[in-house]
Amino acid sequence: MPIATSNFLVPNGTFIVVLIAFIVVLGVITKYVLPVLNAALTERQEQIRGELEAADKAKADAEEADVERRAVLEQARTQAREIVSQAQTTADQIVTGATAEGQAIHDRIVASAEAEVIVARQAAVEEVTARVGEIVLAAAERVIGREIQASDHQDLISEAIAAVRAETSGAAAGAGGAR
Amino acid sequence: MSSFLTPMMGIDISVGDHVQRKIGPLTINMDIVWATCIAGAIVMTLGLILRAKATSGVPGKFQMAWELLVGAVQTQVDDSIGPRGAKIVPLAITLFVFIFTCNLFEVVGIGSKLDVLPAPTSDINLPLAMALYVIVMVHRAAIRNRGVGGYFKHYFSQPFPVKLAPVNLFMNGIEELVKPVTLTLRLFGNLFAGGLMLSLLAALVAWKFGSFGVIGGVLSALFTVVWKLFDMAIGAIQAFIFALLTILYFDTAMAPDEAH
Repeated sequence: MPIATSNFLVPNGTFIVVLIAFIVVLGVITKYVLPVLNAALTERQEQIRGELEAADKAKADAEEADVERRAVLEQARTQAREIVSQAQTTADQIVTGATAEGQAIHDRIVASAEAEVIVARQAAVEEVTARVGEIVLAAAERVIGREIQASDHQDLISEAIAAVRAETSGAAAGAGGAR
Repeated sequence: MSSFLTPMMGIDISVGDHVQRKIGPLTINMDIVWATCIAGAIVMTLGLILRAKATSGVPGKFQMAWELLVGAVQTQVDDSIGPRGAKIVPLAITLFVFIFTCNLFEVVGIGSKLDVLPAPTSDINLPLAMALYVIVMVHRAAIRNRGVGGYFKHYFSQPFPVKLAPVNLFMNGIEELVKPVTLTLRLFGNLFAGGLMLSLLAALVAWKFGSFGVIGGVLSALFTVVWKLFDMAIGAIQAFIFALLTILYFDTAMAPDEAH
């Protein structure tokens, strides 16, 4: 092929050939390359958008769950407080009841014991009263060395018994006051 | 055009040398055609690899690079034109990738009289072809946007009031005529100069130190490497500017009348 020198500022027939070549390249890029690339780009954008939406939804769900959890927790706390309060009331009631019952039992026992004491003392007084005449007479016989008739000295005996009674009742009164 | 340095340095640097073939009345620069086809094949292969590998899952580095580019162009178009500009995105992306690939061919050039793989953009035909294609599409978009009447009225009614219609026509006519020319020459000039610089650097070293000396060889290699790194940046910038201006021209064409 001949090597020729031409004016480098003047276009020639090469213009047409390279124009066609450029249009072919443009056509291939426009028709076959960019649509595929754009599709990939669009699809990726959609994927990312979808993922972002899912993430937003998950976040919203989490926040909702958190709110719900807080509400449930607050409810549970309220319930716990109520239960504790009720238990406290119940315990107070039980203590009050038990105290009252215990006091009643105590009072009953004390009353019963007092009654028994009174009865026993009465019995003892009766017994002493019954035997004091005999003891006095026996003591007097030993002192004076002869038999003494009870009927002869009924006045003295009665006086002695009264003295014993007065003494025992005074002692009982003193014991009752001391208790 | 050749040998403009010959009288000065005794070095023969020529421009506009091509492997040419005549097809009917047309002269075809075969080296530029081949380089364009190879660049096109590279771009299409990269695109088709992407097509095969594209995933909506985690993208690989290759797909990431494409997505980054598409995202950047998409943002640029959305910001300036809005949703109506969606159809421009493929054109802007193709322009950027294709021009960038073409510009990278400069790296394999050595500044010889006839490079094995010249950057197709360093020949005026490809930049002109792309610029004209873009400008035709811009005018098509303008007609679709404003209607035929609105399209022609626009030349008379902007930027001054209708009373100054001739002035408006003159200014708008100049602007529209200049657009493809500047678009072409900016890209072509940068890449053409890039190739020429390689020749000049080599010639400069050869002139000062001789063609085969050790110092000359080392310096020549050093200058070439530094310049090529710079040239790669220029290639990227020029591809970006071409794509960006395309978007801006479409923006102007598709904007409502009162907006500018």
